[in-house]
Amino acid sequence: MGRIIVANRHGDQVLEWDPAATDTEEARAQIAAAEQILREARERGCAVSKKVDGRHVIDNSPFDPQAEEYQIIAPIAGG
Amino acid sequence: MLARLRSAGLRLGSAFWSFFGFPADQTDERWNEGIERPWMVSWHAVPKRSAGTGFSPSDYARARERGERVAQLTLGDEVWNQLRRRGYVEVPSRLFEGLTYRLRIGRRVQLIWDTPAHALRSPWPFEWLCVNPTYPLPAAEFTAQLYLYLRDREEDVVRIAAPQPFDQALGRCF
Repeated sequence: MGRIIVANRHGDQVLEWDPAATDTEEARAQIAAAEQILREARERGCAVSKKVDGRHVIDNSPFDPQAEEYQIIAPIAGG
Repeated sequence: MLARLRSAGLRLGSAFWSFFGFPADQTDERWNEGIERPWMVSWHAVPKRSAGTGFSPSDYARARERGERVAQLTLGDEVWNQLRRRGYVEVPSRLFEGLTYRLRIGRRVQLIWDTPAHALRSPWPFEWLCVNPTYPLPAAEFTAQLYLYLRDREEDVVRIAAPQPFDQALGRCF
């Protein structure tokens, strides 16, 4: 399963999808929802990290349904 | 009955946001249900070091526990163990020679210079940087996020951070 960790005041909430199951409407909707939340977060100034070779790195590439794990990183402000 | 009320509430919320130009994707919405998207909300009115209204002491405890778990996933076991054992974790600067950023959970970033000569070339007048998330987060979780920013997007931190003359707890973490 692929997943997005949404870091928020609850600690985290997770959105999951099955990258192998793209043959049903339900599976496609899950992937579309994951892509949408990532896009929306980026549009609002969040960064996104992606797990690559076992570690998280900030990533600017388009959503990849085959990715193991993403995390949405809060925008930062000074002061 | 409750499900119908909830559905009506969601439709009303969707219509509300659509009015301000934020269209809701009906197809995908059901998979996002229950996930709080803090980037969609203004948190300016929320008091410092608070998660906002409706958060009980047990909610804080649960959020902090989950935040620590996510921080460990984000940092990896080695860096996380360093942070727990020493109380801080360090990130060498890619932009400024002789500078290391020292991160502690829920506190301002400390600038550690190798030598006084390096410190003289500091772009900041003070030795602490205040960097907050724009929405409330458990402190450990934000420390892990700040670690990623400093390691992978140091330019953003340099541009945004507010230099401060002393250390203090961060205002948007709890």
